Formats: sequence, structure tokens, C-alpha cells
Amino acid sequence: MSRKKKPILTASPPAPIDLNPRTDPPLDFPDRELDAMRPADYAELGFLCGLEVHQQLLTEGKLFCRCRAGQRSSRVDMEVLRHMRPTLSEMGEYDGTALMEFKTRKDVVYQIDRTTVCTYEIDDTPPFPIDSQSVRIALEISRLFGLNLVSELHVMRKQYLDGSIPTGFQRTALVGLGGVLPFQGSELGEREIRIRQLSIEEDSCREVSDLGHRVVFRPDRLGTPLVETVTEPDLLTPLDVARGGRLIADVARASGKVRRGSGAARQDVNVSIAGSRRVELKGVPHHRGLPLLVHNEAFRHLNLLRIRVELLRRGVEPVALAFDPAYSALESPLVLDAASIARTASYRPVRAAIDRGDAVWAVRMIGFAGLLAHRTQTGRTFAHEIAERVRVIACLTTTPFLINSDEHELVGGTWSELRKALRADGGDAIVLVWGPEADVDTAACEILIRGADALVGVPSETRQPHADGTTGFERILPGPERMYPDTDMPAIPVQDEWIEEIEVRLAEHPWEREDRYVRMGLSARAARVLGGARWAFLFDAMEPSTPACARRTAAALEKRLVHWWRESGTGELPAAERLAPLARAVDEGRVRAEAFERAFDRLLREPDATPAAIVSDFAASDHDAADFERAVSELERDAPAARHGDEALLHWAMGRVMPVFLGRLDPASVRARLHDALKCEEPV
Amino acid sequence: MSDADDFPGYREPTLSILRRFDTPVWSDIRAHTTRGLFEGLILPRAETADEAHISLKLVSGYNVGLRHDTIESIEKVGYRPADYRVPEEEFPFDPDKPRVILFGTGGTIASRLDYRTGAVIPAFSPGELYGSVPELADVCNLVTEKLFGVFSENIDAGHWKILAERCGQAIEDGYQGIVIGHGTDTMHHTAAALTYMVADSPIPIVLVGSQRSSDRPSSDAAQSLINASSVAAHGDIAEVLVCMFGPTSERYNLLHRGTRVRKMHSSFRSTFRTLGDVPLAMIEKGKIDPIKHDYVRRDPTRTPDVQPYFEDKTTLLYYYPNMQPDILHALIDNGYKGIILAGTGLGHVNSIQFEALERARDEGVQVYMTLQTLWGFVQMYVYETGREILERGVVPLANMLPEVAYVKLGWALGRWPNEPEKVREFMTTPVHSDMTAGEPVEGYLVFQGGVPEVQDFLKTIWS
Repeated sequence: MSRKKKPILTASPPAPIDLNPRTDPPLDFPDRELDAMRPADYAELGFLCGLEVHQQLLTEGKLFCRCRAGQRSSRVDMEVLRHMRPTLSEMGEYDGTALMEFKTRKDVVYQIDRTTVCTYEIDDTPPFPIDSQSVRIALEISRLFGLNLVSELHVMRKQYLDGSIPTGFQRTALVGLGGVLPFQGSELGEREIRIRQLSIEEDSCREVSDLGHRVVFRPDRLGTPLVETVTEPDLLTPLDVARGGRLIADVARASGKVRRGSGAARQDVNVSIAGSRRVELKGVPHHRGLPLLVHNEAFRHLNLLRIRVELLRRGVEPVALAFDPAYSALESPLVLDAASIARTASYRPVRAAIDRGDAVWAVRMIGFAGLLAHRTQTGRTFAHEIAERVRVIACLTTTPFLINSDEHELVGGTWSELRKALRADGGDAIVLVWGPEADVDTAACEILIRGADALVGVPSETRQPHADGTTGFERILPGPERMYPDTDMPAIPVQDEWIEEIEVRLAEHPWEREDRYVRMGLSARAARVLGGARWAFLFDAMEPSTPACARRTAAALEKRLVHWWRESGTGELPAAERLAPLARAVDEGRVRAEAFERAFDRLLREPDATPAAIVSDFAASDHDAADFERAVSELERDAPAARHGDEALLHWAMGRVMPVFLGRLDPASVRARLHDALKCEEPV
Repeated sequence: MSDADDFPGYREPTLSILRRFDTPVWSDIRAHTTRGLFEGLILPRAETADEAHISLKLVSGYNVGLRHDTIESIEKVGYRPADYRVPEEEFPFDPDKPRVILFGTGGTIASRLDYRTGAVIPAFSPGELYGSVPELADVCNLVTEKLFGVFSENIDAGHWKILAERCGQAIEDGYQGIVIGHGTDTMHHTAAALTYMVADSPIPIVLVGSQRSSDRPSSDAAQSLINASSVAAHGDIAEVLVCMFGPTSERYNLLHRGTRVRKMHSSFRSTFRTLGDVPLAMIEKGKIDPIKHDYVRRDPTRTPDVQPYFEDKTTLLYYYPNMQPDILHALIDNGYKGIILAGTGLGHVNSIQFEALERARDEGVQVYMTLQTLWGFVQMYVYETGREILERGVVPLANMLPEVAYVKLGWALGRWPNEPEKVREFMTTPVHSDMTAGEPVEGYLVFQGGVPEVQDFLKTIWS
């Protein structure tokens, strides 16, 4: 066996900021479902959660080039292939994530639609000056969060070696830090959320596929400006995580300058419990699923901490799983080329692997017997933690690619033969892994690393949210080492005039807006919906002044716009000038409020008719009374002979009359008059 | 009290503030400002940045600037100087591998970032190189020597001469190949200069650079270094070569002859192109696939002829409509001995230059014609103007690239200062394909994007 030397690049240890302040995990706390938990239970767990909310800005152009922002395309004109290598931070350290991505040795492919990108996005042209519209929006949103603004923006490079950005780093700049947001909606009563910081950055590529050593991205979205708002870990229950996320999104939206819609707002959620450290759930696209995700993650932490304690009880030490990363994993006495032993096993996937010429190695995990089958999440065991890490880093794709002695039977005494060959005893677990040799080497190393990490308890990771509320390993959590200054961009001083201008016309906070809507006569529910809706600006521009008109306006916007969008196929907001005359007419009593919706619908659907003409169709006039009396006479004449009760008759009559007099006459008095005219006997 | 070295990059008014609070660079501080509390590490200030702000690294890794007039007070809570080093590991020696010497001249290849100046500085010892591109150890036994640390634009004939002499020395020392790390802007000038200065090299001399410095994860430096080292160690082409990215994709490098290559884009990775010919070879993961076969083979028995000369009074004049003849007169007045014209079309300048050209001829200033079209041949017989220019002693240089002609003329004038006929003879004799007998039909490929057939081609080729 050749002692082939591999490059070793070592990463720095996790930052203390990532550790949960409490070190005493409540190991005896029973695993419970989300709906069986009370806020006090999460307090007992030491549950802490912080959010990083990403929201795209509503700008014309991208942040560092002049391509149009907010594009999405599946057209492929050409492809570009790249590879990523880790580089040192200015502090002289490698970032752990960067090293992990380097180990994966992936081909990174960019599929390019030539109409959505220029040479900046494929990293063949240096950045153009930063989009100043984006900077001003970010400053404005920072002020909405009450942040202290920096006086000079330094564009930084945040390393991303997964290929999601062709440069290998995201350009980002800190705009503000240290703010406090009132959190009225908390289930723990009135509280605050501290905002750590807000930065402006370029959005990354969309991932198309990630299979084995090939990951494919589309750079249409790349470079779209976004703000990232980071909270302190102030969210203490799963429900509050969702509510806090909504609040933060709403504050930024209050500026009216962030994009909405799918993919426009995504959040990373940082979770820890007592005794664990920060784990980041990456890119959760909506708030609805957040509670279950963070709940499950909290119990994953608890289970990993239980495994840790059991390993410590068994006297397992990290050194027992140590190996020299400079050499092939086979150099370690814990790893064995198991092809000849496994050949005798009747397990089909292993036999198939041997037939393909794959390497089949066995790894001895000292002291892990039984623990690979330990539950971590719903339907998941600790062995999954290992398998996921191997899949991602070693790029093993043909499933299954590993089995373990805790969970799998192998006929023919294979496990005991492997035990013998590895000098393992009953207290050890064995993992059998197969695939291309280079990948299996990486896999064996990762199995040992994940084993050693079990003694830490919860490794710092970035995890992917799954639809069922569980999470899967995505990458090692990056640290501050991944940030280094962008020498392509000069520092950008924040002009005092910009700030003054922003302060003068600063948008209302969502809660201020809601309060205002309540004062205008809306219900609390209607005010909340309207406050967070993108048509809130339209409501304000229509300027309803009486409570009745305000309620009708809010209701019509909430309910009727959707119908119109569905029919017309657009999602656009109508012009305020078109709708405002209706609100004015209702406020002034020229049109009765009941006619609002009907008139509103016609204003949307009859673009050729002037608003004045449509509104006047519903306006009261001098001859309404005479017209109505004529209509009543006609009804008396046409009334059906057979009566099925007064109510049915009145219903019929109202149906005849009201459409004609909608907006002009009070429906109650119309009904009373008809009641008399049709000689109804039941009281009105 | 601290001295100025403790405050690198800082000027007034920030310098006094940092002095007043005794917080030199690398101090961990808490700054109380009119815009709130900022905690972090004071960084050196980039020399190109303004004097009004202090650079601070926050615990999140972000840097921000604090404006001097927002600062109320600064508390020093610690001191943490950065130790910025590429991890250095001994470059492994393998007796079975060829010995290659890598000369550093100061380009962005094999470099790291100086965070104070924002400049890229060479990471250059073999250990540092092994630390950042460990694959090099699979290729050869690498020895490095830093000759100078200058940016491409500051490379001059003095540097060419030193490089030529060091190449001669390295050949004498028995190295199997030479790699020269060079800034890309003038790499093709240096490649041409070495072609003339180091004749009959028995081994490959490979110039390599990078369009994205190696402090970037997407850098082209590693692939190009690995491929250039492979060409130097194992390649059979004993000429001066440029080894740079073929396509912008990280797939293969192209080997260009030092006399036919030119940088054609300011920032693309695939910036170097062979003009008027096809490249010599492709090289992917160390495997060389020749495209042309008329190259000079490696031959350890051959003795190099190193002639480090250059006449500084040589120039390259790019013609443009309305050019006034006083420029040519000024060159003659200033003692210029050789002028390369980059003329329009087939090799033309306007007729108001004729008198000055006659004066140049009469005063022994050698004038040659090349083309600003870059592709194609000088053909001065087709039009009347061409014939008139020829009559005034201007010598056409076929399809020699203007920059190559400039270097060749400077070298020849330096080599034979008192033998104009020798210079003229050398200038009109093809050397390493600096002029070719003809142009292969695929020697001129400048496709136009957007044309459907080109888009189809790109779709196939770029995937």
C-alpha cells in the first residue's frame, strides 16, 4: 500500500459565539411532539433561536453589474465549468466549510442564459461600482430596524465554495448593527427582538442539480441585491420563531422596496439548546413550516447530547477515533479494505459494488455499539448523520453506500469476521462503506470525523430543511474566517445627506401602520392583514376617511383583487387614481357603502370606462325615489300568485330591485317599503 | 508610546485619535460613537482608502469604517496581531521526478493578498506554493527563485535581460524545465523577448500567469501552475511558451508560441490567444496534446545562446487618422534608432508622414511596418500609398505582431548596434514563427455571438 500523502489544510475551531450559554442539557426530558410542548418546556430545554432573514430588494439592476435584477430563466445557451479552492482569510486561517467543499472535489457547472447575465456573473469581469439605489434602500431598512449605521461600507468577500457563486465568494457589506425591535406578537407576552446586524449582499445562483461530483447552477438570480437581517438568539419557542420571522419580513416590507413572491425572502434559522451549539437551518422559504423544523432540530440536539453522554460514560475519547489526515484512511488501524471479507456476504448491494470494481472498506467505531441505531429525529438514527455527511462530502451517490453493524444483518458471519480483522470487540460498531476508491477514502475519514464529533455532541453544521420537518446535513458551519476584504471595491462612505433624506421620509413600522388602520376603523385582523399586504400602499393612496369606507376599501382590496388577478392573469396592482374616486364618493355619501365591491369590480374590469362614469352609476340622484316607487308598482303587478312565505317573496323582490338601486338607496328601507307593498304579514 | 509602524496606513485625523486612546492596529476595542457602540479589531488601513475612517473587523468577520468625527471614546480590551501566512510545508523531494525552477517576477500567479495595501504579493517559497497548490509535488521537484516583485506594467528591458541570464544559468545548472510566473499584461512582450534573448534553449521555458489572483477560490492560478509545471518538467517543446487558460471554463490550458501570442481581453481567463496561427498544444491535467508538430524538440545536448541586449531607443507607433508628422520628427530628434509602425489595413499611414519617413531613412532610423488589424499580412503593393511608403525605406514585416516586432527590433538594435544591415536581415528573417509563410484558414477565428450558428456552436462547445 503506497503511503500517498494528501494535502492537509486545517481549519480554526468554532467561535464561542456559537455556543449555547447554558451547558446543562436536560437529558431526561422526554421526546415529545410539537403540539405536546408548552413554552415552559422549551425554556427547560434551553431552546434558543435566531434568524437570518434574506430579502431581495426591489431594484432595477443587480448589485455589482448593470444586468436586470429579478430574472429567472431556464434557457441554456452555454455552460461554464469551474472548480473552487479554499483561500486564507486575512487573519491567516482557513474556514472549515471551505475545506469541506474542497474535499468534495466537485465540478461546478453554470448554465447560462445569455440574456440574463454578463461576464461579471461568470467571474470574467471585475465588479462595477455598487448599485447606489440598493445601498440607500439597505440604509433605509436598517433605520426601520433602529440599527446604528456604519459610516463607511466595506465590501467583503464571504467564501462560498459550494459553487453557488462563480467567484467563490459573495460580495457583502455591513450596513447597520445593534437594534431592538418590539415583539408584540410573542406568545411569551410583550418582548423585544435584538437585531444584531443588517448587511447588503448579492444573491447567489439557483441550484439545478447536485449529483456526485457534479453540481449545476443557474446564475440568473446571481447578483440580485438583498438584505440579510440577523437577529440575536431571542426567539425562545417554535411559534415565536415563525412570528419573529414574519415580523422581520414585515418591517423590511414596510419600506415598500423589497421583492415579494417565491424565493424573494428566505431565512436561515440558528438553533441550539442547553449544552449544544448553533446549527443553521438554511434557506427556509416560508414561515409556516418553521415551528416543526426548529422543534425537531431541538430534539435532534438533545439526542446527540444523549449519545455524547453515553460515549463519555463508556470512556470513549476523541483520540480513539483519530487518524492522520495526510495519508489514506487505510493507514489507520480503524479502517480496513474489506472487499475480500465482504465478498462472502450475500448482501446484494455490496456484491454489486464488488462486481463494479468499487472499493469496500470497513471502519471500526470504538465504543459506538448500539449508538448508531440511536434515534435522532423522527424516523432517523445516528447512522443517518454519518451517511448524510458521507453522501455530501464524499459524493457517494449510488444508494445504499454504507451499512452498519447496529442496524443491518449480514448473513454468513461477515460482521464477526470484520470485527476480528479490525480487532473490534462487542462494544464497537462497524460501518461498511463502498464506492469509487478515492470517494471511499474520503468517506472513511468523514465517518471517523463524525464519530469524533459525537463526543462534542452537536457539531456546528449548516443543515437543509426537508418537507417533513426533519433536517439533513448540508455543510460544516462557516465561521468568521470565511470573510475577507474585497480588494476590487473601494470603501464606500455613507453620506450624511443620504441619512438625513432617509430619516425625513422613513416609512412607518408595521405596528404603527396597523395602529393607524385600527384608528381608521378596521378590525385588528383586517389591520394586520392590510399592514402586511403589498396593496397597503394602494389603500393609503385611495385615502378613505370614514370608518365605513375604510372597512369597505380594505375588504375589497383583500378579497376582490385576487379574483381579478385570477381572471386577468396579471398580478399587478391597479392605479390608485382609478380607485380613489370611489372611496371619495363613499366618504362623501354620494355612493352608499354597500355598492363598494360592485363598483370596485367594475373599475377593475372596465378599463375603457372612466372612473367617474362607473361611480355615477351607483350614485344617488333626485329621481331615485320616483324610480323606486315605479319599480314597486311593477313588483306589485308581477308578484307571483303562489306564496311560499314572506321571506321567499321578499328575497325575490329584493333581487329584482336592489341591483338597480345599489349604492343609491338604503337596503333596509327598501326592504321595509317592499314589505308593506307586498303585504307581508311577518314583521320586517 | 507607540510609533508610526503601529498604525500602518493611518493618516490624520484618524492617526491622532488612535494615538490618543493608545489603540494601535490589531487592538481589540470598544468604540463609543455618535452612531452607537462598535466592538472589534482595528485593522491596518488600505493605503488607497481615505484618511477619515478607522477600519474595524467585527466579531462576525465583517469590516466596517468608523468616521473620525463620530468617535467619542475608545476602550482597548486586548491586542491580537494577525499571523497571515500561507501554511508552509516542506516541498517533498522525489528523486524520480524532473527538477524544475520557477522564477517569480511579481504577477498575480502564486500570490496572496496584502490586506493593508490591497495588493497581491507573491506567496513564493516552495513551501508556501506547496501549501496552496499541493498538486505541484505530483509533477516535479520544484525550486523557486524570486527575481523581482514588480507588476506586469513595470517590467522593462532590464528585467528581460536578467531573466534571460537566469534562464541561461538554470539550463547550465541542469534543470529540466523553467517556469516563469509573470503578470499577464505584458507576458507576451516578455515571451517574445526571451525568444530572441535565449536562442537554442534545450528545455521548455514556460511563462504562466493568472487572471484571478490565488486569493480567490475561483482562481485560475492553480490549474495554470500545474499545467505549466507539467510542460516544463515533461513537455517536449523546447521553446519559449505561454501556458494560459484555453476556454474560460476550468478545463485545459493552451500552449502558445512566445512570438504569436497576445493578451486579448482585460479580464477573461481565456485572454491569451495565438494570432494568425493555431496554438502549439493543449494541456489538460498535465497531459499534453500537440496541435502543431513543427516545434523545436527538447534536447539536453543543445547549448543555449544567451544574448541579453536591448536598445531602449526603439518604439512602437500606433497610427491613427490625422496623425501629424511632428511625432515622427520628434522621435528622430530624440535619437530613436528604430520605429515599428502599426499601420492601418494592409500597412498604411497617411501621406503627410512621407517627408518624415524620408528623413528617418536618410538619418539611419530603421522603420518597419506591422498591422493594427493584428491578423493578416502587410501587403504594401496593392495600393499606391503602400508603394510610396515602401519607397521611403519602410520595411514590411509580413504577419509579425506589432509588440513582437517592437521587441525583436529593440533586441536586434541592441545586439548589432553598428550593423544596420544585420539588423534588417534579422528583422526580415522568421524566428520561431514570428512571421509565417501563410496563415492557416482557422488562424483567424473571431466569432460573433448572437448569430444562430455561433450560438449553436457555443452550446455544444461550452458544455
